[in-house]
Amino acid sequence: MTTSSPTANAQSTDNYLTFTRGIKSWMFTLDHKRIGVMYLVSVLASFFVGGLFALIVRTKLLTPGEVSWIDADQYNQAFTLHGAIMVFLVIIPSIPGALGNFVLPIMLGAKDVAFPRLNLFSYYLWVTGAFLSVYALLAGGFDTGWTFYTPYSTTTETAGVIPVVMGVFVLGFSSIFTGLNFVVTIHKLRPPGMTWFRMPLLLWALYATALIQVLATPVLGITLLLLIIERAFGIGIFDPDMGGDPVLFQHFFWFYSHPAVYIMILPGMGIISEIIAVHSHRQIFGYKYVAFSSIAIAIFSFLVWGHHMFTSGQSELMNVVFSFITFSVAIPSAIKVFNWLATLYKGAIVLNTAMLYGLAFMFLFTIGGLTGLPLGTLNVDIHLHDTYFVVAHFHYVMMGSALIAMVGGIHHWWPKMFGVMFSEFWGRIGCTLVFVGFNVTFFTQFMLGSQGMPRRYYMYQPEFQTYHVISTMGAYVMALGFFVTAAYLLHSLFFGKKAPANPWGGRSLEWQCTSPPPHDNFSTTPSVGNPYDFSDVRWNEAEQGYEIDPNAVPSKDTH
Amino acid sequence: MIHLLLQAPSESTGQNALMTSAPVTPADFWLPEGASTFAPQVDFAFQFVAWISYFFFVLVVGLMIFFAIKYRQKGREAYARGPSHHTMLELGWTIIPTILCVFMFWFGFRGFIDLRTPPQNSYQIDLTAQKWAFNFRYPTGAASADQNLYIPVGRPVKLVMRSEDVLHAAFIPAFRVKHDIVPGRYSTLWFQSDHVTEGWNDSDPLKQKFHHFFCAEYCGKGHSGMYAKIFVLPQADFDLWLEKQGRWMDDLKGDELWQVAGPKLFGRCASCHSLNGSAGTGPSWEGLWARASGGAGSDGKLDNGRETYSSLIGPGKKFENPESYVRNSILNPGDHIVVPYGNVMPTFRGQLNDLAIDAIIGMMKNLDKFDAKGKYIGGAPIAAK
Repeated sequence: MTTSSPTANAQSTDNYLTFTRGIKSWMFTLDHKRIGVMYLVSVLASFFVGGLFALIVRTKLLTPGEVSWIDADQYNQAFTLHGAIMVFLVIIPSIPGALGNFVLPIMLGAKDVAFPRLNLFSYYLWVTGAFLSVYALLAGGFDTGWTFYTPYSTTTETAGVIPVVMGVFVLGFSSIFTGLNFVVTIHKLRPPGMTWFRMPLLLWALYATALIQVLATPVLGITLLLLIIERAFGIGIFDPDMGGDPVLFQHFFWFYSHPAVYIMILPGMGIISEIIAVHSHRQIFGYKYVAFSSIAIAIFSFLVWGHHMFTSGQSELMNVVFSFITFSVAIPSAIKVFNWLATLYKGAIVLNTAMLYGLAFMFLFTIGGLTGLPLGTLNVDIHLHDTYFVVAHFHYVMMGSALIAMVGGIHHWWPKMFGVMFSEFWGRIGCTLVFVGFNVTFFTQFMLGSQGMPRRYYMYQPEFQTYHVISTMGAYVMALGFFVTAAYLLHSLFFGKKAPANPWGGRSLEWQCTSPPPHDNFSTTPSVGNPYDFSDVRWNEAEQGYEIDPNAVPSKDTH
Repeated sequence: MIHLLLQAPSESTGQNALMTSAPVTPADFWLPEGASTFAPQVDFAFQFVAWISYFFFVLVVGLMIFFAIKYRQKGREAYARGPSHHTMLELGWTIIPTILCVFMFWFGFRGFIDLRTPPQNSYQIDLTAQKWAFNFRYPTGAASADQNLYIPVGRPVKLVMRSEDVLHAAFIPAFRVKHDIVPGRYSTLWFQSDHVTEGWNDSDPLKQKFHHFFCAEYCGKGHSGMYAKIFVLPQADFDLWLEKQGRWMDDLKGDELWQVAGPKLFGRCASCHSLNGSAGTGPSWEGLWARASGGAGSDGKLDNGRETYSSLIGPGKKFENPESYVRNSILNPGDHIVVPYGNVMPTFRGQLNDLAIDAIIGMMKNLDKFDAKGKYIGGAPIAAK
């Protein structure tokens, strides 16, 4: 239990936003909180751009034939940019880079991550990667699809391929350094009393993510370098005309990119564990199962890449083996969902915006996970492969789950990050619009895909048009939802009520420093107990927030 | 059609088509009509997984909504007592999904092995994929003239596929089959359809039933237009059809050759070459004959700026006459590239015979008698076919 005085920590008047002033104090900051905020702004700006390209693609698909305002080449560039931006610039860095950077050291009661300079360097690598991508766009664009499959990517005439591949290469290193930083921070900077099994589950999730980032991303780097070498110097590695093998590229690519799926979703699962427990004011159910399932997912994630290649021409035996292992990754994901469900049981549930995003995640991830099952079933996958069914499935997981968790996390920690409360009324409206719009957009795509509509199509058979029109309408509703969300969050920065230190009743350490936190997070190293034991939390009417009752008798609950 | 079906000889299997007939699986909420022998098996596996999914979805979301309503926070309650774990429950929701997963794997595995094991007596059709067309070649050496795939009913058909350029994929939703076509190797795909596509030879295209044959692996600009129709024919009709493929141009007399065969052949060129001067992947045919014959535009740059049409074509030059230049450009497209276009056109050597090249040249010479889509609008004397 907390023996140091949380009130002393909560009383400091300066905060990290006002600690120093001026643009340079941000650009050269080593403060993990400021770096987190810079990541947040950059990632959200990229999300806006990637979203615009999605709307372009969806608007084209209102009609089956050619349209005058965008031709096939431009359409191919638009969906390529949408995919590349959303994967490499938004989802992969979003939760570790923005929320992870901000929350992780505070949750540990530490002053910063283990390597603050490396952290800033990671951010500037991200910026470099983003600029290389913009340069690639200006240099002539690229139409390879975000997967860069050879030999199309080594022979296409668009001039931006090498710059964007360089950009993704650099972004990979940004990701590796962030992962390295988190692994060391979690190993070395845990405060006295915080054993592995007293870590908040977000830290388990970020730790599992960091392991994948460090181990898998170098493979992507090598693969992209080989791609550049082949394209620039004509050295045959993947192109059969020069003695290479295009299927080899797919193996290399998915050896990274399947684990990368878990780089995207695992931190989201961590956030959901926090949101569900805190807003239910109740001990998380099955802490150890949830924690170990993160590690199990991280391990299995390295063994299933071949399920992206069931139709590629890899051997039948490998298809069978990969199908079998793929089903094993379903189990830890199911365990997590059931444990979140059991956490709701006998809770004291508050349906505020953050919790609504948490429940939306459970709904969407359940669909995203279950629709992975037909894709793992070999003969059914043969029919569904490379159709809109796959598009819908990975949007349910990548966007409906990972990104919705990110948005939920932003709402959960917004009072902590900026010291202000946003409008719960508009928050609930924004969440509803996003949730409804998302389902209308992507559920129709399951039907499109199972009925045989291939992906990455500029034109399509007229029989698919009804579904496409419904899907596009859903995308507009979702866009409206995100605009509402952006509006009330920005509004709250200027006009929001001042946030208490602990608005939701959380028990992990970040809720024990002021909102926003002081530059050094904690004046004294706090000691910690069970992060999900809420027995000593009580409501303080004067503060309009929760506080820890210093006189409470410690609960006997242990893991 | 049914009487034809009954008469259809099935030499290779030695069985009547109807005896091996698998039912057509009707279209439902999820899946389109299934017309191959695989369809019932694939659809069963799909429905098996779907019903498991419905069950777990209703369970999870139902309980979630129920709990979220029943266990609402009362006042400012900051601590709710609930169980922290339950070992039997944890074991239950680990073991039961595991068992279900084993069943799903098993159904998928069994079906997949059938999907990947073509029978010994399969009828082989060679498929060459290129940006952005499928070319089907039959055992007689004939190619499908209209680029569509015609197959005999009730007989296993094996496609042996290769790619001229980048990755493509053959995808037939109604047959539940798909396989990538990888450059530098041969890939195979097999299927059997026991149901004739009604009205396949009806002169009214709206009355023709057919199955879609899509490219499912992204291959660039023309990816979504890389498409063929599949017609399933009674064996006797199929034999007649095949007989005609090799020599359909032989019967065309005089100008009929370019009037009738020209537009049909142009269908393959249309994805890159326009007839009205609008820009495409390759140069428009408009004015092409004039440029090649020393007329307007004959100073147009060729071959990265080193040559022009007039320095290349004419008596005593590399090409004696414009016909030789066009023929060479079809068979060896990379020899002389028109500035500023790239070297992307595949060779049509082995796909277009001399008669076909004559028909294309005839069409180029008489472009004013065709509309922008390649339809002949010159009036008589065209013999209705």
